[in-house]
Amino acid sequence: MVDRMPVLLIAVPLGLAFAIPLFALFWKPAAKYIPPVALGFNLVVSLLLLAKVLENPLIVSIGGWRPPFGINLVAGPVGVLFSAIIALVGLLVSVYALDYIHPVRYSHRIDTKLSNGVGLSNGVKEGATEKYHTLYLLLLTGATGVVLTGDIFNLFVFFEILCISSYALVAYLRNKAGIESAVKYLIQGAVGSSLLLIGIGLLYGLFGTLNMADIAQNIKSVSPISVFVPMVLIITGLGVEAAIFPLNAWLPDAHSSAPSSISAILSGIAIEVGLYAVARVIFTIFGAQSILPFLALLGILTLLVGEMCAFSQNNIKRMLAYSSIGQIGLILFALAIATSYGVTGGLFQMVSHTLSKALLFLTVGYMIYQTGSLQISALEGMGKKMPLTCLAFTIGAFSLVGLPPFIGFPSKLLVVRAALATKETYFCVLIGLALLGTVIEGAYFFRVVQVLYFRGENNPGREEAPVAVLIPMFIFVALIIVIGVYPKLVTDVLNSAASELLNRLDYIRSVLG
Amino acid sequence: MSFLNSYIYYIGAFGLILIGLYIILVKHNLIKVIVGLGILDTGVNLFLISVGYIAKGTAPIFSRPGTDSEHMVDPVPQALVLTAIVIGVAVLALALSLAIRLYQHYGTLNLRKIREQKW
Repeated sequence: MVDRMPVLLIAVPLGLAFAIPLFALFWKPAAKYIPPVALGFNLVVSLLLLAKVLENPLIVSIGGWRPPFGINLVAGPVGVLFSAIIALVGLLVSVYALDYIHPVRYSHRIDTKLSNGVGLSNGVKEGATEKYHTLYLLLLTGATGVVLTGDIFNLFVFFEILCISSYALVAYLRNKAGIESAVKYLIQGAVGSSLLLIGIGLLYGLFGTLNMADIAQNIKSVSPISVFVPMVLIITGLGVEAAIFPLNAWLPDAHSSAPSSISAILSGIAIEVGLYAVARVIFTIFGAQSILPFLALLGILTLLVGEMCAFSQNNIKRMLAYSSIGQIGLILFALAIATSYGVTGGLFQMVSHTLSKALLFLTVGYMIYQTGSLQISALEGMGKKMPLTCLAFTIGAFSLVGLPPFIGFPSKLLVVRAALATKETYFCVLIGLALLGTVIEGAYFFRVVQVLYFRGENNPGREEAPVAVLIPMFIFVALIIVIGVYPKLVTDVLNSAASELLNRLDYIRSVLG
Repeated sequence: MSFLNSYIYYIGAFGLILIGLYIILVKHNLIKVIVGLGILDTGVNLFLISVGYIAKGTAPIFSRPGTDSEHMVDPVPQALVLTAIVIGVAVLALALSLAIRLYQHYGTLNLRKIREQKW
């Protein structure tokens, strides 16, 4: 039974996603309670599997066809770690959405904002919230599928599930900004997926197989130059979703115009999954050591561009979106170091970014609801109006900057140590630039915190966010602090995940037997 | 001539892909860009099919007596293309419905005139 469980991680949310409209026919509120149930189930299953796969990765062949003939799922430490994170963040955000995605309550706020074209990313128009919940669950199903699959075409299919549902969710508010960003996101994403598919087609033409382990085994049998073209196409295609500079033009628009709960998922999960796919393709399939310095450079460029743009923003959600670009750059750099230290640091940074950025978007969602504006200056005095929400925001911001005792500190420290441990001038110079980026990051986050607490009138009335919303926020806060104080809780899992990514021979052996 | 015979499908496929990319990059009208996406999709699908294509091949049915496996076409790319077509339809449908919404908001489909979101 346990051997088959990875299938349930995909099948249960997929089935329930399409059951939502059916249940909602009989009982309207069923729509919003199904995602937490499905994701709670996924979280429990992932945690059960995690203990098991740390010793031995689970290979599930679908339909009884042994790899490389059938499609297989590879539930190694990386896959299960990611599916646990996806389920955890998805669960908390869906609990948040119970109150946030409300059919009637915020509708007047959107309509007032439609006229000036800014488009308030808050609340949802009357009716039809089933669509939101269906798409939300599909997005997370796609993400789980990407991290668990062992077949490169299957990876493409799950990627498209993720992308198409996120295009639709970005446009969910149907306001000017949302539609415009969704169109941009869709065009760039569709071109990216086409490039990915061409790359996959070329690989199939070369090797006659779609199984990632099988391709990896045979990759040395053809000339490097004929592998290079599909590799570039696949990395470019995945890079659009992973928001690697210069393919990230869609990200700030899409992340800032989506409803805040969706921004949290897009920033916290969608781009991380894209980066996972890039890492899997480079490390496992191609074993390409030679392009890693180039990717490290791209990572640092992404970091600097993202942080500098974030610094100059007045719109709080755009600032967070650019900060996501910056973090993605740092993660890409850490992965490109390609020592076990570096990859562990990259994965740790992914976990820390997921938790912190999801928390930031969730808190900002309610602040925007209170003020009715996306401008940072409108947040003056919020520290006294919504003390708990602002406390959560401050903790998320400090964690992202990398202050102790929050999770961002051990993860950034690990990345810096990994870069210095290589003893190569190249990486040492780049990590210096990355620290410069962190200083900029600190500057703009502290500016917002200052606006929250030290500006504005002294005694406004207290208008705290509802309790149902504060609970998921403070679970995030608790996780950020607990892992920040005891990084040992996760480092074992991260270490074995890093060694799964780096040891491609073990991966090939465990899949093909 | 033999070169053309063996590579004509690849030339056609990459021709379509390049035409599609050109339209997406150059055209200002959203509907034309979506048409470009469609052409790009078609090119990719044609490319996938031609990977597994054999001239005068037969369907790979092993249970039928007296078929030689030499002339069977590869069924995997065809399965891939079926999936890719379905995905392409979903993307195009979503793109067209977004185009309708965009027109309702801005009164134009000219992408150069729609630039409220910028860096």
